Amino acid sequence: MARAGRTRARGGRLGPRRLTLLRYLGRRALQAVPLLLGIVTLIFVILHLAPGDPTAVWFNPNLPPEVMERMRVNMGLDQPLYIQYLRWVKAFLSGDFGYSYTQFRPVRDVIADALPNTLLLGGTSLLVIFGVGIALGAFQAVRQYGRADTWLTFVMLFLYSMPGFWLGLMLVLAVSSGVVPGLRLPISGMTSVDHALLGPLGKVADVAAHLVLPTIALGLASAAGVARYMRGEMLEVIRQDYVRTARAKGLPERTVILRHAMRNAMIPVVSLLGLYLPILFGGALVIEVVFSWPGMGRVMYDGILARDYPLVLASSFLFGLLVVVGNLVSDLLYAVVDPRIRYD
Amino acid sequence: MRRGRDERVQRGAGVRRDAVAAMLLAAIPAVLAGCDAGPPREADGPAPPTAWGRRAAGPPPEAERPAVPEERRYGGTVVVAGRNDLLTMNPLAVTDRESLEHQLHLLFVPLVREGPDAEPLPGAAESWTVDPEGDRITFRLRDDLRWHDGEPVTARDVAFTWERAVDPAVPFANPAYFDAWEAVEVLDERTVRFTVRPRSHLLYGWMRTALLPEHLLDDVPPEELETHPFGTTAPVGNGPFRFVERVPGDRWTFEANPDFPDALGGRPFVDRYVYRQIPEDAVAAAELRAGEVDLWLDADPAAAARLAEDTTLAVTSFPAPEYAFIAWNTRRPALRDASVRRALTMAIDRAAIARVVRGAYGEIAAGPVGRWHPAFDTTWAALPFAPDSARARLDRAGWTDADGDGVREKDGRPLAIELLHTPREDWRNIAAIVQANLADVGVDVRSRALEQASLVPLVTGADRRFDAFLVAWSRDVMLDDRDMWACDRLGSPFQFTGWCRPELDAVLDSLQVVEDRKTLRRLVGRYEGMVEEAQPYTFLYETETVLARRRTLRGVRADARGALVTVGDWWLEPGARGRGVAASGRGD
Repeated sequence: MARAGRTRARGGRLGPRRLTLLRYLGRRALQAVPLLLGIVTLIFVILHLAPGDPTAVWFNPNLPPEVMERMRVNMGLDQPLYIQYLRWVKAFLSGDFGYSYTQFRPVRDVIADALPNTLLLGGTSLLVIFGVGIALGAFQAVRQYGRADTWLTFVMLFLYSMPGFWLGLMLVLAVSSGVVPGLRLPISGMTSVDHALLGPLGKVADVAAHLVLPTIALGLASAAGVARYMRGEMLEVIRQDYVRTARAKGLPERTVILRHAMRNAMIPVVSLLGLYLPILFGGALVIEVVFSWPGMGRVMYDGILARDYPLVLASSFLFGLLVVVGNLVSDLLYAVVDPRIRYD
Repeated sequence: MRRGRDERVQRGAGVRRDAVAAMLLAAIPAVLAGCDAGPPREADGPAPPTAWGRRAAGPPPEAERPAVPEERRYGGTVVVAGRNDLLTMNPLAVTDRESLEHQLHLLFVPLVREGPDAEPLPGAAESWTVDPEGDRITFRLRDDLRWHDGEPVTARDVAFTWERAVDPAVPFANPAYFDAWEAVEVLDERTVRFTVRPRSHLLYGWMRTALLPEHLLDDVPPEELETHPFGTTAPVGNGPFRFVERVPGDRWTFEANPDFPDALGGRPFVDRYVYRQIPEDAVAAAELRAGEVDLWLDADPAAAARLAEDTTLAVTSFPAPEYAFIAWNTRRPALRDASVRRALTMAIDRAAIARVVRGAYGEIAAGPVGRWHPAFDTTWAALPFAPDSARARLDRAGWTDADGDGVREKDGRPLAIELLHTPREDWRNIAAIVQANLADVGVDVRSRALEQASLVPLVTGADRRFDAFLVAWSRDVMLDDRDMWACDRLGSPFQFTGWCRPELDAVLDSLQVVEDRKTLRRLVGRYEGMVEEAQPYTFLYETETVLARRRTLRGVRADARGALVTVGDWWLEPGARGRGVAASGRGD
């Protein structure tokens, strides 16, 4: 009965609800503009306030001062700070992120090469985080205080407290030393050296095989967190009256758990998805180094070390954008999974 | 301090002085006129000693490996791992050693190639002659060398490369290479003539700078050359390997050039060469063990000992043109006195530092001219580690611990030094050893880690806000160290120490113009002597680059020129050619 009523109510409000949604999205997008500008401005100021400049990377007497000066001029570092800032904002608004000092390439190209790889890794990690996290959390809640729950709690807490890079290195060592007999997985890179020679399916399988270990390293600790969260939510939900009613109706336990309990317990858990996007981006910074994954994490890591201003600014902008989008997705998911929440 | 011909000198150089003298004489005409014959293909076996004592890392005994006739060595894909990405294949934009090595030995063949003792060998130029007055040098180019797009390599390419290298709009990192080259004239398609001034290692710049294809880059404005896609996504070379593909942050792929002239080595044995960036050392070691990587360039010294225990792997090393040192700011009153600085050096256990940081792959640095340098004086040795002598020297200099707090004072001021370094783990370890060593002789050292971009302005700025700092850098065969020591360059960023001597300036000036290697070595001896006497730097260690490879990869021989110097002769044993099978097969 309750379900039918909800469907009717949705159907009746569909038009105005969509309008409200669009208005809401527009408002959030407008709010994001000054926020993002503020983020990159702050990073611009912090980068330039720190002593030294990118030429410090080439600290070598083989490089005479006049060459260093030429490099500074080419980078525009000879200009006053406000000119550099205005130039950068102007170029940025026209879609020109500038040249990477260290990679000798347009920043746009650097990001275009690296971002899809990070998104791929992030996407598969999200699947692991929520797929494994939700399944294990629900399982533990159903078996509360059982032996499986106790052991899984121990394992989840262990994984949750492990640094990603350590977990990654342990995976590499375990796989490469043959701890699991017969298990052969690539331990670094995104493709094998024969990738270009493979057929379309072979290429997909090649990338998938390379994804396994970094995905586990990036996703498992967060999956453990989601599992803890899901377990708590499930324990709350399965004590609710409607679950008891479902059981009283004689529904099979499987249906009760999967359809009635889990779906409701997932409401707050799924809304975490948006918040995990920036966490994944940050985590990728370390995991990509460990697994030689050619993504944004490494680009940003190298850029920061080398004070590659254009690269760091553009990466920071993307990072900020991801946080903003993540928050927005999170808010939208709340409303999607819980009809009591309105956009206005 | 000089020492006799002890065992280390024998190992380090193993060269008789008369043999050296003979080579000195032989090297001069080699500069004056190149020879036509290309070097023969190198065979497996112990590396021959080089005449100048630049130690080479030959392969370990491989007699037990199966002998394979030369015609059956072709095929396979060799995978090489390195810590850093190759940033550019543009010869005038390169600043990192990995990229430079790949340019000089894979993608390009320079105008003149560098021999084992930094002597010039024919490259794109089959010969060259110097006018009797010594002010003009004429190169005759090969007629069988082509760019990888099929165009011939011509005299215009040589002139174009030089013109761009000396163009102020191009931030070429080594302008000293061509500072004696004044004008160019293209005489015909294969002949180019330069007007030059006297210069030591005159041809060295051409050995270390690959040629640019004029027909592809002529219309690129000089200020845009550095960022032109030629260097990063579409390089066209003239060397033994052709560019195939780059996956940024992951790998570069090259394939054998079947048209590479036999006189320069001919088609390489391997079909494909893949360079993979693996930033994490533990992962690189695991990939090597797993057989996914054939050679690990610049392997982690700490991992080398464990890798050497693996019978499927071989670990070798070769001297790198790099040293680590502590620079003392002699503008500070406490560090002004040379005897104090000598005492500090003698109190620091540099052997322990070399051992801790480089394991078996480092030696105490003797001075500013390393053992890898062709003009290194092999009888030279570092100051000994002698804490008692250090204490006595400090006492004589008036620094005594009158109040018994463990720190020496003079005129009421304690002997306290702040040691700056970047936050690398190696530097932290070194700083801890220095701190402990100097505390033993009554010197209070506090170490402070700063990011490089923050440290550099402190040590290079006009006010030199530091007492001492710790750093390592790589050097060049062309010994132009005037920026580091000259009295008229006290304001130069690299004149950190503020120490200078007019007589050293004269030596350093002479080093720029002397062509005779015997004189060069004598001048280097004087240079080292003056720096050793004054100790503006405490030289810590010289590094050896470690190569770890699978034994199925053969023909690898490295020396101070780099790890890839014989890459055309590398070959994979037939059982190790599983990768890239579909692309393999003899290309010639």
